[in-house]
Amino acid sequence: MTSPLTTTPSPIGATRPADAPSSAAPARTTRRSSRRRELGACGALMTPFFVLLVTVFLIPVGTAVWLSFFSDDQPGLGFGPEHTVFVGLRSYTAVLTDPTFLSSLGTVALYCVIYIPLMVVSALALALLLDSGVVRLRASAQLGLFLPHAVPGIIAALIWLYLYTPGLSPVIDLLGKADITIDFLGLHTVLPSIVNIALWSNLGYNMVVFYAALQAVPREVIEASVVDGAGPVRTALQVKTPLVRPSIVMVAMFTLIFALQLFTEPMLLGQASPVINSRFSPSMYIYDAAFTRNNYGLAAAASVVLLICTIALSYGVTRWTNRATAPEEDAR
Amino acid sequence: MPGRQSRRSVLATIAALPLTGALSACSSSDGASQSGSTSNANSTGAKRATHITFWSALRGSQQVVDAFNRTHDRIQVDFQQIPAGGQGGYAKLSNAARAGNAPDVATIEYPQLPGFAIDGVAREITGLMSDGLRAKLLRQALALTTFEKRTFSVPLDVEPMVMHYRTDLFRQYGLHVPRTWDEFEEAARAVRRKGNGRRLANFATDGAPQFASFAWQAGAQWFDTAGGVWNVSLADDPSRRVASYWQRLIDQDLVFMNPVDGRQSDAQISNGQVLVRLSGAWDAGAQMNARPAQKGAWAVAPLPQWDTAAPSLGTHGGSTFAVTKDSSHPEAAMEFIEWQVSHPDALRARLSSGTSSQYPAAPGLVPVGRKAFDRSYYSGQDIYRVFEEEAHKIRDGWIWGPRMTATSKVMQDGFARASGGQGSLIDAVRAAQKGTMPDLRALGLATTERTS
Repeated sequence: MTSPLTTTPSPIGATRPADAPSSAAPARTTRRSSRRRELGACGALMTPFFVLLVTVFLIPVGTAVWLSFFSDDQPGLGFGPEHTVFVGLRSYTAVLTDPTFLSSLGTVALYCVIYIPLMVVSALALALLLDSGVVRLRASAQLGLFLPHAVPGIIAALIWLYLYTPGLSPVIDLLGKADITIDFLGLHTVLPSIVNIALWSNLGYNMVVFYAALQAVPREVIEASVVDGAGPVRTALQVKTPLVRPSIVMVAMFTLIFALQLFTEPMLLGQASPVINSRFSPSMYIYDAAFTRNNYGLAAAASVVLLICTIALSYGVTRWTNRATAPEEDAR
Repeated sequence: MPGRQSRRSVLATIAALPLTGALSACSSSDGASQSGSTSNANSTGAKRATHITFWSALRGSQQVVDAFNRTHDRIQVDFQQIPAGGQGGYAKLSNAARAGNAPDVATIEYPQLPGFAIDGVAREITGLMSDGLRAKLLRQALALTTFEKRTFSVPLDVEPMVMHYRTDLFRQYGLHVPRTWDEFEEAARAVRRKGNGRRLANFATDGAPQFASFAWQAGAQWFDTAGGVWNVSLADDPSRRVASYWQRLIDQDLVFMNPVDGRQSDAQISNGQVLVRLSGAWDAGAQMNARPAQKGAWAVAPLPQWDTAAPSLGTHGGSTFAVTKDSSHPEAAMEFIEWQVSHPDALRARLSSGTSSQYPAAPGLVPVGRKAFDRSYYSGQDIYRVFEEEAHKIRDGWIWGPRMTATSKVMQDGFARASGGQGSLIDAVRAAQKGTMPDLRALGLATTERTS
């Protein structure tokens, strides 16, 4: 990979002026040099990706895998000198038999079931609304919806924590005046409260993704549907939506990956709600295992399990959508 | 109204909580130089002196270090105040030890000591400790820092759990100080009947250490190291008895059930909603500092017993000093620790920072603490006499587990759920055991477990 990289500047600089006048005679060399140039450009453009992939993904994953299979052990009660030993699947057995880890997986599964459909449907609905031209002041509506995405997650969680805390929250005060008492941080309400924060933060972003996709829908298709007598709702649901299917898959996938890493919101809300424990989500479990329990093997094993779940689910989503689109294409 | 905080301060606290751990974890390496507490380097001996570093979250540590440095030429201590253990202090210590720059002397509470010993942060000091020092310390306290005959830290204070109670309200309702838990239940019923909204006590949903102390008194043995194996049985007979006792009080609405750390509990005590606090001896001084207006309203009595013929007790709180694995001057560190826990000047210096009712692990220092303590808040009661009598009832053989912070957290999650109507106290205790075992197994410790 290094040789094309180092040679890249010279062929580009040297051949370009010579390229135009003489085209027939040194065709062979030009082809070779253009091939080298392609390789060089390819290398130059791909290197940052691979460097990042290796340093921020492969090395950490490798470290986590290593940590999950090795441990500093002392025999018996553990008060002796430590030896680094291969422990096989011990950490994995421990994490998979830990009821608190399994319940954290359950929590995040429930969160995904609530959050992902809600996110995809509402982002798509808003995008379709904007696209159909029903909404006036389109630009400001778009900006208003997108703005929360610019707020860092921790700040968003802080703002909502303020709105959720009894005694501080003007919302709860107002509702209280109308004789409605609601505990946003209660046993059954805390997960919807977290979904609400995530929705508020990311709805605008995903809406923009859908809106951009809708802009690319050929206008003649829409005109045709209008000519055929489809109303605006029908056009939106049966013409536009199938055409932006790839975006829907992408948004669903990104939302899934984001949701599986649930951490910031419950971590912060946990300060105010006893219902959120220190092992509420898998990411919180990992954090707790590493930094309050000093159990790096366990944390690493849990991280690898979470990674495998994420990969498997993402793969599942792509496979499922591929299969779902395949018959449609066959029919055409 | 005391205990009422402004919105801004509450939010600031909320915002700062998760950050303190992370930040302190990052700034461990150059911490000692930042503290700026290296006092009086003026003496000529200071140049040749051995410098050791000391981390603590205990109040008055700076005064103790200053007093030590004033009277010692050969050893000079650089002190750094760190956050309390649960608020990032322990994370800071573990991370520093991982990076190889833990301080020479660290402060570790009893429940967390086994964990730090297993992780190799606290160095074994069996050989460093003089017999003289051993003889000065309360036997039960030293037993808590010794595993397989190897000592890992030196106790500073040992805190028998006592009953702090409102004398005025007891008189008003015609109550006698309960000597047994049955009498305690009777008293709770009387307060519920007459007290218009008052309750005798609060069962702390964040109180795994309190619950452990109740179980300890009742004869439980959550962790046992017989046979070189960690035997775990959190829900043994005595623990089940304690759990069902408190469950009954909760079910009959005889006690409050909420966190003891926080505004709600603070308001309950300040407004006289609860008549009794069950906590360590140290809490007498903490109460004086927190609520000076209630002067004369409180007294200290022994904790109720299950069997007055065979009294028994657990502790609640207390700290120890450990020499860490990274210390390059363990002897100097040990000398400083010995002075801290056994010299009258050390206790006087600690008390000079404000009121404290800590019960020293070295019984020889009790007269110093008693003399320094201002009795007027407790209407002249000699509370140190109560502590002294109670300290001897501390039951032998209790052992804290290797991951006590985590065990407590899972238990408290269960308590919090129980307070919301989901599950019971004993469910929480069982969940704590289930959540602890994978941890111990993943650490490679030899374990057995008894479930019941």
